[in-house]
Amino acid sequence: MSDTTDSSAPIATEAPPEAINASCRGPVLFLFFSAALWLVDAAGIGVLGSFKVHMPGFLADCPLFTYGRLQANAWVAFLFGFAGNAGLGITLWMLSRLRGMPLARPGFVVAGTILWNAGVTAAMVGISLGDQSGVAGLELPKYASRVLLIGQAFIAFSAILTYFSRRHKQLYPSTWYLIASLVAFPWIIGTAHWLLVEAPVRGAAQIPLGHWAATSLVQIWLGCIGLAAVIYFIPKIIQRELYSRQWTFLGFWMLLLLGGWVNLNSGAPLPVWQIKLSQLASGFFLLVVIAVSWNLRQTLKGVPLLSSEDLTLRFMGFALSAWIVAGLLTFCNVCPSWNAILQFTYANTAIRHLFAWGFFAMSMIGAVYYVAPRLIGPTLDWPCARIYHWIYRFIAVGVVIVVLAGVGMAYRHGLALQSTGIESEVLQSRALMPMRAAFLGEVLFLVGSLIFLGSMLCLLVRNCCGECSLMSLWRQCRSTKVEGGAK
Amino acid sequence: MNKAPLVFLGVLFTLSLSWWGMVYSPAIQLGGETPDKGDGTALKPRVGLARQGEQVYRENGCYYCHTRTATGGQFGYKLQITRLDLNGTITDSAIGGADKMLPVIKQAYRFKAVAKAADALKTELGKTEGKSDAAIKAAKEAKATAVKEVKSAELNLEKNLKALGISGVSLDKDLSLECGLPAEKNATQKKLVANAQVTITSGIKQWSDIEAKVKKLKAAKARFRLQPVASDWPDRQNLVAMRQSVSRDFLFDAHAMPGVMRIGPDLSNVGGRLIGADNDAYAHIYNPQSTGKSSHMPPYRYLFHRKKITEDEALPTTAITVTIKGDKRSVEPGYAVTPTAKARALLAFLKSLRTDSALPEAPIVEQAAATSAGTREK
Repeated sequence: MSDTTDSSAPIATEAPPEAINASCRGPVLFLFFSAALWLVDAAGIGVLGSFKVHMPGFLADCPLFTYGRLQANAWVAFLFGFAGNAGLGITLWMLSRLRGMPLARPGFVVAGTILWNAGVTAAMVGISLGDQSGVAGLELPKYASRVLLIGQAFIAFSAILTYFSRRHKQLYPSTWYLIASLVAFPWIIGTAHWLLVEAPVRGAAQIPLGHWAATSLVQIWLGCIGLAAVIYFIPKIIQRELYSRQWTFLGFWMLLLLGGWVNLNSGAPLPVWQIKLSQLASGFFLLVVIAVSWNLRQTLKGVPLLSSEDLTLRFMGFALSAWIVAGLLTFCNVCPSWNAILQFTYANTAIRHLFAWGFFAMSMIGAVYYVAPRLIGPTLDWPCARIYHWIYRFIAVGVVIVVLAGVGMAYRHGLALQSTGIESEVLQSRALMPMRAAFLGEVLFLVGSLIFLGSMLCLLVRNCCGECSLMSLWRQCRSTKVEGGAK
Repeated sequence: MNKAPLVFLGVLFTLSLSWWGMVYSPAIQLGGETPDKGDGTALKPRVGLARQGEQVYRENGCYYCHTRTATGGQFGYKLQITRLDLNGTITDSAIGGADKMLPVIKQAYRFKAVAKAADALKTELGKTEGKSDAAIKAAKEAKATAVKEVKSAELNLEKNLKALGISGVSLDKDLSLECGLPAEKNATQKKLVANAQVTITSGIKQWSDIEAKVKKLKAAKARFRLQPVASDWPDRQNLVAMRQSVSRDFLFDAHAMPGVMRIGPDLSNVGGRLIGADNDAYAHIYNPQSTGKSSHMPPYRYLFHRKKITEDEALPTTAITVTIKGDKRSVEPGYAVTPTAKARALLAFLKSLRTDSALPEAPIVEQAAATSAGTREK
């Protein structure tokens, strides 16, 4: 698990874990707490939007609360608010630990986080006021993109300095994924910003571009961070070496190549070769799924994940399962008839939720569960550790409901769309049925998010009271030389 | 994989490949599209109010519930003969099972023979030198024989006019009367002649089934048309659109929004359905349930002005009304509801969404006769 050093070159001394945790404490906790706030925001707005499926007239007189604006805001809050903050926080901490060096220039991270959160806020205000881009899955207004890019650059600067502050003989595979995530974000958002906003390409060319950007953000950006966490924490907790770097190698490069191409609708108004390219990529995506899952299966060999006593392992296990299922559903798009049935239904949204909530959110919340107490103090644990289990339960059940309702019932909707002579009323009720059933899952996700935020608050507030105040602990941690936390 | 710069460069290279495949290449190909429709006309850019309406459509996120993507499907070919060549001959084997049409085609050849004989007679009569009575007599007899053959066919007037149309000949008044056709044709009859065609396959057959026939028609120098007919094409059969949506339908979009889900109906041809229905469209946007129909579309009341009116006060002419059981009243009783500039822009945008004209890459597809009862466009 730990990297070995190259004896032929001068290598800086590896910093002790407590020093690394201390260097990450302020910036990374700031990112984690921001993530928890945005997660509640995203889940709450999502539930509000979905409630309109039950009552179309609810808040209908206010233009801020149209279904389209709420859905866009919910996704932006999740993708950039929660995923951005949590992902960057975990990236910084993992890079520091994997390089064995304290976080470099934490001030840049704090500044970057402030900018990043300002960008997300600007995006949400902009969308509410009608400035959304019109690209489903990437509704950022142009000014928000700029702020986010600058914010990420600040944070990435710190990450890069940390990375190059010490040389290693071998890079742990999680590092590849983290480097890719840091490069992919400006690449994707920069392309989308330039070619959709600053110098927009013509007409239908925006469709594959928007699809590529939205899909890459999910599959590559989130995928890399989430898989980095899964590949890092599972072997670490079960204290085994990762089975094969070669399998990881295959999965990594295939993910980068294919991640932006998959899942294009077979009925998209585009030249046939683009649709065929996407189907081919969806087919080859099976290799990514096999590479990652086989590697981790061989690493685990008999160690249960979902029924593990260790909560982080359970989170990671669920995240891995959700990623595999989402990957297999992506693979199904190799079959045009399957895609033709589901392309205009709720299924795509449900699969996106499976990826975003089931895989990414679970992996990040699991990682936060492991990392956050160690950042505050070596002997600390969550104030109410048992209640953290409920986050797992609520989100897991919520995701299962969303996916079963979304894909199962949406299939009936898709079949109805492919039939002739069905009344529009019947068609509409079939379209709404999966969304209504998935509403329960969304509510459970909101409850899980609230508990996560509450837990984060308790963790911070408890340590702000009396002798256990955050400040005194911080001083104590800085002076202590012993840390019991895992590396 | 142990050198960070190599990983960094590798990541950049791989992302570039991904970018090249789904961003650069499509941008080059689709960026070069032209508005030319191939028939001398061109696609028109969206301007003025409709262009502003695209912004209203986008800012409200309408694309979450409505697609603008009519998909394709399976189709057969309706093979139609539109013109015959004088020297060609079309046999039973060329038109196969459509033998009911054979008399019309044969009659068309007879009309051609009449026209040829009449021309020959005119030539003989018009000679100034070497005029021969015998030749004139022979020409007259030939013409009389040709006319007799036309009359012997015993076809009704409609079939005769259709045969005349596909023959491509023009008969003068006297000759028309001789052939049993009206000397002066009314508008309907003229249209029948001008648009004459003989359908020899119903539209169920695939290309492989009719390829041999097409070759025979080409050999007979006949002009023909291949009209696609929807066989398993849900979006066409349900009247969602007249044809498949293609990339050029988005050519003048400032923001291409193909849509996410079909919670509401597809809007790719909504403009074709909204002709002369502004009031109904406004009423639907203001209150989708106003006409008593079931709809889960949210009302967009903030796109309208509301002014309270008394019972005695007449509704302004611009007020949105609904007609329920013959009773025309305001869409909201007690109020005069009129569209704001945004509502007018949105409607103008919706009316600009049309796929009811053919493009070379997306011809209009006919509705199969047996499946004409679509209901979804409502």
